[in-house]
Amino acid sequence: MTMLFLAGCQKSDIVGNTAKNSFKSVLDAVPDQVTVDEMNGGWSLDAPDNTARFIWSKDYSKSPIHDVMIEFDAAPFVNAGLDVSKLPEGLAYEDKIMLGTKLGNDELKYEGEATPDTSFHQIVKLYRDSIGYHEVLDHYGVDLGNGNKFEWAKDMKTNDKDIVFVVDPEIFIEAGVNPDQVEGWVYASVEMMDENGKKIEVMKFLKPFDLQ
Amino acid sequence: MQKESIQIGGMTCAACAKRIEKVTMKLNGVSSSNVNFSTEKLNIEFDEQKVSVPAIKEAVLKAGYEVLEKSKEKEITIPIQGMTCAACATRIEKVVSKLEGVSSASVNFATEKLVTKYNPDTVRISHIKQTISKAGYKALEIETKAAIDEDKIKKQKEIKQLWIKFMVSAVFCIPLFYLAMGSMIWWLRLPIPKQLMPMQYPLNFAVVLIILTTPILIAGNKFYSVGFKAIINRSPNMDSLIAMGTSAAVLYSLYSTYRIVMGDFKYVDDLYFETAGVIITLILLGKSLEAVSKGKTSEAIKKLMGLAPKTAIVIQDGKEVVMPIEEVEVNDIILVKPGEKIPVDGIIVDGITSIDESMLTGESMPIEKKKGDKVFAASINKNGSVTFQATKVGSDTALAQIIKLVEDAQGTKAPIAQMADIVSGYFVPIVFVIALVSSIIWAISGQSLVFALTIFIAVLVIACPCALGLATPTAIMVATGKGAEYGILIKGGEALETTHKINTIIFDKTGTITEGKPEVTDIITIGDISKNRLLQIAASAEKGSEHPLGDAIVRGAEKEKLEIIKLDSFEAIPGYGIRVIEEGKVVLLGNKKLMVEKGISLSSLENESDRLASEGKTPMYIAMGKEIAGIIAVADVVKESSAKAIKKLHEMGIEVAMITGDNQRTAQAIARQVGIDRVLAEVLPQDKSNEVKKLQAEGKVVSMVGDGINDAPALAQADIGIAIGSGTDVAMESADIVLMKSDLMDVPTAIQLSKSTIRNIKQNLFWAFGYNILGIPVAAGLLHAFGGPTLNPILAAAAMSLSSVSVLTNALRLKGFKPYK
Repeated sequence: MTMLFLAGCQKSDIVGNTAKNSFKSVLDAVPDQVTVDEMNGGWSLDAPDNTARFIWSKDYSKSPIHDVMIEFDAAPFVNAGLDVSKLPEGLAYEDKIMLGTKLGNDELKYEGEATPDTSFHQIVKLYRDSIGYHEVLDHYGVDLGNGNKFEWAKDMKTNDKDIVFVVDPEIFIEAGVNPDQVEGWVYASVEMMDENGKKIEVMKFLKPFDLQ
Repeated sequence: MQKESIQIGGMTCAACAKRIEKVTMKLNGVSSSNVNFSTEKLNIEFDEQKVSVPAIKEAVLKAGYEVLEKSKEKEITIPIQGMTCAACATRIEKVVSKLEGVSSASVNFATEKLVTKYNPDTVRISHIKQTISKAGYKALEIETKAAIDEDKIKKQKEIKQLWIKFMVSAVFCIPLFYLAMGSMIWWLRLPIPKQLMPMQYPLNFAVVLIILTTPILIAGNKFYSVGFKAIINRSPNMDSLIAMGTSAAVLYSLYSTYRIVMGDFKYVDDLYFETAGVIITLILLGKSLEAVSKGKTSEAIKKLMGLAPKTAIVIQDGKEVVMPIEEVEVNDIILVKPGEKIPVDGIIVDGITSIDESMLTGESMPIEKKKGDKVFAASINKNGSVTFQATKVGSDTALAQIIKLVEDAQGTKAPIAQMADIVSGYFVPIVFVIALVSSIIWAISGQSLVFALTIFIAVLVIACPCALGLATPTAIMVATGKGAEYGILIKGGEALETTHKINTIIFDKTGTITEGKPEVTDIITIGDISKNRLLQIAASAEKGSEHPLGDAIVRGAEKEKLEIIKLDSFEAIPGYGIRVIEEGKVVLLGNKKLMVEKGISLSSLENESDRLASEGKTPMYIAMGKEIAGIIAVADVVKESSAKAIKKLHEMGIEVAMITGDNQRTAQAIARQVGIDRVLAEVLPQDKSNEVKKLQAEGKVVSMVGDGINDAPALAQADIGIAIGSGTDVAMESADIVLMKSDLMDVPTAIQLSKSTIRNIKQNLFWAFGYNILGIPVAAGLLHAFGGPTLNPILAAAAMSLSSVSVLTNALRLKGFKPYK
């Protein structure tokens, strides 16, 4: 009963609510970097150096491949030994690599015009499980599947990593990448939670940015 | 000076007991105050001119504890005939309620039954019945099963309540612990609902923890009400430690929840609701087990109490009337059929039977009883129907006296308990200081507030001194109860403790080492006369003699089933013997002087005579005509168990002496038979205590074993006086230990029981102190200071509960004590 009550009570979802507010703060901090992404049917938040971006759909029934995804330059990985042909199909597109997930096929409805902010709210509302809190970095994140994430700071004022692109290295290492030689990415151990809520240490490629 | 025993409620540890002793000792006129934590009784001695019982009770109440009024009230159901309408029922209720001692009376007209509560000390059932009869109705036999032991019910209720509280807290504690710790026990891969993932839904998680913790805190509400009250009264106890420790955990967790609400999710790691919940649950479990085990420690006494039958068949006007035991009065004539229990003490007036008195004496062999012999309540009539006259009823019976003696003993403290009392009195405040200081030190040293808090809680929780308070009284309760089971009544904790130090035992000879009843031991004949014929003539001559030696000869003949023949011309020769005529022939029976006087030659029996004397036997010469016919030797025979008991005592390294008023030769003879080292002969009864003093002056811890009447001064002088007797005739007052049967093997058994008990108490104290001595520094973070782990408060609670349970379990091991055989 308590759980049903809690499940229905959005106000008790402190993480979800604060995630929405902090993501809006990120969008507000770099309005020029937030654009419409027609190709993917959503919105794009570009990294300050334009080497990577986070894309989220405004309507899952129309998203071509993913509803949430990150896209970044393939060149640093190729230079570090990546054999693109060894990557799973659909990951590499021209000179980019795309990592993401399909959340669902919902036709999203909005009160008024869809905005980057309200589209993000739909993720929290419909697919709350894909939003998480990363205690060590004091970040929120969107789970992109297969260990990939896009994270942003809960409080940009106190955090020097306002947004972070988190990429699981496994498939890249299997495809020939020497993880220590990927330029512009940090290959480091990160404390994360597994599906059972257990804290685990895992190696990741990280691309953090300070937006302020 | 008046002595009073008051039942106390609300004590949770030895510190509470100490506190009550303190407040009552402060009252003007109180000379001694002793609280037994285990039996929850205050035994107080006071000058009734200076202080009253209500004033003492008020002081106890003011200290924050309950005074449990011992209700003597009983409830009975009396079926009634003759009621015709509801008005009859009202009438009966009215007349019965008016009786002094009746607190309630309710008649159910439909079932035709009166249910009444009454005080048996004030009003008797027969009086209630008479009142009903006078009102014009007929009171039938009471339904005895309806009698209620309110104290027992109260105890059972208390245990049940504790179990319910534990069950409630366990039901909520399991999911609480699962949720809180599940994600940490990663190797089990315990699934947690997504809506309650602490990092995903921290507020949900915190709210659910609060919801689960609340019933646990309610179940453990007594820890808070009593614990904080004790702090306010400046007498913190075990509850205070639990209350402070768990309150700190809950308050800090509530603060963390507030921080989560404010968006500071990291505080989800600082929720300690499960710590408080598990601590309360574990302690409730410990308390429940403790309550059950405490009940078991007094099982022996309950067993004794349960021995008495509930009804008796009283012969009234030639008719057999079954009536409740409470109705039986002194001088009532009672019928006991084979297989039934003797209801009260009395003297047989008709019938022969054998009676099993093992429940009183531990002696397994039934004893033959005939007219004039005493019977005791709760013993079992084995084979014949007997009627006896009641001589002692109610609290005067031997069984009631034994129960009282054991109860009193269980209420006393052994000297070893005083050390535990002193420690536990200072324990709680010291622990609080340790908890506070150690947490402050850790905080100053740079550790987080959470770490300091964990240290604070762990120290408070692990140091609860309940095990300390239970260590001694539980062992004494089990041991005294066990002793009573084997017919060894130990009169107090001090006696039980001192007994194990005994290194010298003085046995009285007559009635202690020996049977105390001379018997025929040897028959030596000269010429054609047979032994039986000689014994028959001697017994016939001595028939009616009041001399103990003559009596022994008569009993000897009876034993051999010899017929007493009629003799002529009986003449007593004082100081010499007797002279009779048998078939015209003069028969002389007496000592050597008589034979010499009458010119009878004893040369043929000189050697035998010397031998018998050297063996401590008294020869009685018999002459027929002018010739000596033989000797009948009479002696007080040594008990079957004496030599074995003395051998056992020697094996235990105890020096054994014998004290007697007999001459040196006889005494030496007996001593040789039983293997005694030291003989104190020709000692007058009044000098026996001096002999004990002399041994004590040699630095020995002396025990005197005697029959409890002639040896009373020596029994009192000895470090431990052991009285041997039947359990009714014995002067219980003069001895520290009373042996219900006359088996000397009970002496080494009593010493062994004392040794086992002291060893058990020491083990208990080791466990109780050990937990604290090891636990407190670990809880305070000593190991952590050297790179080791800290003690989780939950583990501290488990260890603390385990300490009480282990102490009680260890004390209960004494139940397996077996006497020497």
